Amino acid sequence: MTGSILQYADVSRRVSDAADYVIIGSGAAGATAARVLSEGGADVVVIEEGPHVPDRELRSDMWSSFRRVWRDQGFQVANGRAFTPILQGRCVGGTTTINGAIIHRMPEKIWARWRDDFGLGAALPYVELDRIWDTLDDELAVGPAPEATLGKNNTLFRLASQRLGIGSNPIRRNVRDCQASAHCNQGCPTGRRQSMNVSYVPRAVAHGARVYATASAERLERSRGRASGVRACFVDPETGTRGPELVVHARRAVLLAASAIQSPLFLAANSIGRASGVLGRRLQAHPGTAVVGVFRDPVKMFEGATQGFESVHYWDERMKFETVSMPPELALARLPGVGPELMRELGSYAHLAVWGVQVRAEAQGRVQRGAFGGTAIEYDMTDADIRVLKLGVRRLTELLFAAGAERVLPGVHGLPPSITHVDELEPMFRAPDDPRLFHTIAAHLFGTALMGGSAFHAVVRPNFETYDLAGLHVIDSSVFPTNLGVNPQHTISALAWLAAERLLDA
Amino acid sequence: MTWFGFERHALSLVWSTIFPSGTEAGIELGAADVGLDAFLDELLAHAPARVSFGLRVSLWLVAFLCPLFVLGRFATFSGLSGEERLELLERLQRSDVYLLRELPTFFKMLGALGYGGLPVVHAALGIRVRDDEPPPWATKGAR
Repeated sequence: MTGSILQYADVSRRVSDAADYVIIGSGAAGATAARVLSEGGADVVVIEEGPHVPDRELRSDMWSSFRRVWRDQGFQVANGRAFTPILQGRCVGGTTTINGAIIHRMPEKIWARWRDDFGLGAALPYVELDRIWDTLDDELAVGPAPEATLGKNNTLFRLASQRLGIGSNPIRRNVRDCQASAHCNQGCPTGRRQSMNVSYVPRAVAHGARVYATASAERLERSRGRASGVRACFVDPETGTRGPELVVHARRAVLLAASAIQSPLFLAANSIGRASGVLGRRLQAHPGTAVVGVFRDPVKMFEGATQGFESVHYWDERMKFETVSMPPELALARLPGVGPELMRELGSYAHLAVWGVQVRAEAQGRVQRGAFGGTAIEYDMTDADIRVLKLGVRRLTELLFAAGAERVLPGVHGLPPSITHVDELEPMFRAPDDPRLFHTIAAHLFGTALMGGSAFHAVVRPNFETYDLAGLHVIDSSVFPTNLGVNPQHTISALAWLAAERLLDA
Repeated sequence: MTWFGFERHALSLVWSTIFPSGTEAGIELGAADVGLDAFLDELLAHAPARVSFGLRVSLWLVAFLCPLFVLGRFATFSGLSGEERLELLERLQRSDVYLLRELPTFFKMLGALGYGGLPVVHAALGIRVRDDEPPPWATKGAR
């Protein structure tokens, strides 16, 4: 039996449904669980807060994408000493619809830390995760970015790393026959990236899953001490107007996969996990910044894979480098100056290469319900994190010059807006270790509903079920005890897969 | 949230100072050439309320207080000459006070979402235009 995708525009009255499993969220975790459970013979309903946007409706300008498929229209921000944009999708497919398609397995050193420091080795055997990653690789067309798709922004990075003797590699991406349009962050216009909205959500629907999009999950239903369903409300994605109610009864379990920002808020609103003292706390991320190089010859970063080359050479020093193709809308915000200075730099847009550093930060933040029903995110990089960021900016600058950049635009307060030699970065190292020196963003969010062996310091048991309520399982990156230092989509999917398999086996 | 006419005027001046027209050796097409007023309506209709509120607070600071406290001029932003407006925004951007230097960055970031997403700007930058039509907001505000 084929399922369906319904959203606000399709419903005019209260909707009632029932399924074996009700999944909240359709990103890497929720969609993967839906695929495993539905193909395992279970009846599945997925509730997704954002809209279902077919590829043909995606536009190439960033605002149209922000408005339709990004959380808070791209304006979600964490407060600390500096404002840090927090990047998340909000649509069927979640953040997988707007990320750079970068696929990594969890580093074994991180897994060893989870085993040794958090006692999760037996619950999350690496050999099991490896088996799942193999399947994910196969089903999601994961492989190194082909040479033909790289484009010069990526090949320059390869050249620079070769010249400096730094290890680098084409990024493993979940794209089938990439068209190299450099539009990953707007939503793949050709539907080639195997994000959840074009891969596991359709697979689950083909096996009978019903997806209710633009439906905001609000209340958990309980019966006999177990989670027994979810009450949600359809919301007009254009106006925010509340529409009909959605009530879904869960015959077996409710799976929460709404992200490390939304999941703890849902748990708190339903009085689950509060006694642990860690709910909404321990928010971890990979903050980062970008450095721009200006080359004599055209780079045309708008041609090629959005993110096609990377270096984990300095991973043990808590930094990872990636190429990033920035559309003009985002490049403008990053370029120095205003007025004619800005417009001259914009005039060299086709000659820009943009590379980023992401930090495996030790900082821990907090998520809670803010004033007027909004979300309050607190996050502040530590001084040690800032020192890593400074070193990352220096190394990226060295790489850009090694690739032949005539100038580098470091984007650091207190430095010249444009430099021609790496020594001009030295004032940055004498400046205080302060995040306000940089324009950072944070992606990859973890840790706000910790998995662990005791209800006194964890929200979720090693089997993904909450300590406070049977039948409620948290299966997204909220449960991760630490960040990963690499892009997390594959690890999120693998853990959700494992959780779903165990539910089927139970 | 509705905006007063003088607020719209001040914001259009801020955006055309940040993205001026006719820059030599750069992009000649500026904010004034593409009609960002319609993008303001788009932002007000769809951006989160705190963003619209922040934009208004930022605009009042720049339009009414900064000319006096940054340039020492008893004038509004609209009453400054073009050179003075540019100097004001440049000084703010160089400020050692984080919130002050974020003001022009905030205007630049918001304006860039409108200006930088237009097919005509993409074409000027040498980017192959993929969409048949400009964004819906630009169609409404086309000049």
